[in-house]
Amino acid sequence: MSARLGLAVALFVCVVALLAAAGPFLGGYWLAVVYQTLLAIGLAYGWNVISGYAGYFSFGQITFFGIGAYTTALLTSHTSLDWRLAALAGGALAVAVAAPAGAIMLRLRGPFFSLGMLGLAQTLRVVAASSGITGGGTGLYLSATVTPLAVYEWTLAVAALAFAVTAAIDRSAFGLRLCALREDEQVAGTLGVAVTAAKVRAFLISAAIPGLLGGGYAMYLTLVDPPSAFSTRLELQAIVMTVFGGIGTLWGPLVGGVVMSQISEQLWARFPQAYLMIFGGLLVAFLIIVPRGVVPALASRLGGPRRTRVNGTPAAVAAGGEP
Amino acid sequence: MSAATFAQITLDGLLLGGVYALSALGFTMIFGVMRVVNLAHGSFVVLSALLAAWTYERYHLSPLLVLPAAFALAYALGAAIHRFLLRRLPAEVASQEATSLTLTFGLSYFLAGAGLAVFGGTFRAVPYLTGAFNVGPFAIGQARLLAFGAAALLTGALALFLRATPAGRAIRATSQHAEGAQACGIDVDAVRTSAFALGSGIAAASGCLLSLIYTLNPEMGDVFTLNAFAVVAIGGLGSYAGALAGAAILGLAGSYVAYFANAQIAEAAPYVIFILVLLVLPAGLMGKRAA
Repeated sequence: MSARLGLAVALFVCVVALLAAAGPFLGGYWLAVVYQTLLAIGLAYGWNVISGYAGYFSFGQITFFGIGAYTTALLTSHTSLDWRLAALAGGALAVAVAAPAGAIMLRLRGPFFSLGMLGLAQTLRVVAASSGITGGGTGLYLSATVTPLAVYEWTLAVAALAFAVTAAIDRSAFGLRLCALREDEQVAGTLGVAVTAAKVRAFLISAAIPGLLGGGYAMYLTLVDPPSAFSTRLELQAIVMTVFGGIGTLWGPLVGGVVMSQISEQLWARFPQAYLMIFGGLLVAFLIIVPRGVVPALASRLGGPRRTRVNGTPAAVAAGGEP
Repeated sequence: MSAATFAQITLDGLLLGGVYALSALGFTMIFGVMRVVNLAHGSFVVLSALLAAWTYERYHLSPLLVLPAAFALAYALGAAIHRFLLRRLPAEVASQEATSLTLTFGLSYFLAGAGLAVFGGTFRAVPYLTGAFNVGPFAIGQARLLAFGAAALLTGALALFLRATPAGRAIRATSQHAEGAQACGIDVDAVRTSAFALGSGIAAASGCLLSLIYTLNPEMGDVFTLNAFAVVAIGGLGSYAGALAGAAILGLAGSYVAYFANAQIAEAAPYVIFILVLLVLPAGLMGKRAA
């Protein structure tokens, strides 16, 4: 381990420990604020692996958040299992569903995959709303035995894990393979990248993170119903944050999450009617104003480490399309 | 179930398919010319249907009279969206396809939110021409027949426009080969703007007709986006003839599911049909896309 990497790991551990230690001293309001931020960051990291690194834009990763939420709610209300174990089981089930779903969905490319995932999320939402086990449209109410602090700690742990996993991917051969298949899947395959294995693995990681977060959210709300478990708002929010921070970058979801979740919370609390409109509009604006995200834009302006990613087709790059 | 009932359901499905076909033509035109999958398509459909329902509630205007206005509004909005948003997407961004897709994804929420602000979240329908013609053993809903007739007329007009007018031929040339079209002196950029505008206008027109059949609220745009996508995916993205066949299949499937299954399963039907279409035909789809 190089000295630089050691320093980075030490810093990461310090920040996480600090946030964990600060939990009990945060009042109800600030605990809620930091919790929402951590949740948003976690979901953004989850989305970023499959959509940012592998280039398979998913409009339905919230599917796995919902699976985690419902699993946890059902397990805690029907058994005496500790809720953290139930939430872990929720993450495991999300991965178990994602394995076949990914194997099938990832055969589709581009908009076919994106819309296929959107269709999957909508299907599960309708199923949850019409099934007796899940409480139908009214959902499941949970007895409030879990403190918000416990949910905060759980979410901090998962968000930290999501960051650490992304950092590992960003430096690894696996990450390079994902970028290669993102730029050109056929060429990557020809060069010996096991394309299917790589993208399914990325998809599983992108399912595990929201799957683990879903259980905490159920406990936090003490309620799971179709709109909260398969939340359009959280899905859109994760995408907007990642696009704002920088798709396919290590720091993008963190920066986007910290900046945007404040705006998001205020908007949601004050103008729930206009929320979707404003966030949809922000997504459009960011794509035009900061298409690569603020993190890469700032890094190149500040003359940071020169690790420019080559974007675009080889022809476009040769024609000088990319700096 | 008697043969007559089955024939009745089949007839209903085909009439519905006619309206789907019109909606899908707008979607496939935009894809053909621009290689943009327009996720805001369903929002145009739903908002225009709600506009028709709202004007009917207030002024008892027939949705057919609202249709030209909705078309014009959506045409202008579509032109503005292309001019000021889609065209501004930086060319060097990694995957143009993913970026334009995400942009229209954001747009669909923007429009849904705008619809909620204007029309509220309540479901609306147009109780217009609720009677039926009795032809032998069949009962043909008047509204459904009217929607089908208008859709067929508009589809015919669109086909004529694309085949027989210079502007229509420019659209087809651009979708066949953009660079070749440019070399022949076609202003490809202007064609793209007009194609996006026209596609949006057609979506709105089909929305007015669907208001005769469906009860809708502003958040149901997804259903019609996925529906249009499934229709054109069956026939191949960018193919007009394929879209007609796809629309008939989807209209029939919707009609059968609504009859044989309960209402809740019917609600999931468009999504399930959509996913099944993608899974059954991925190889065919990919072949079409690569070409």
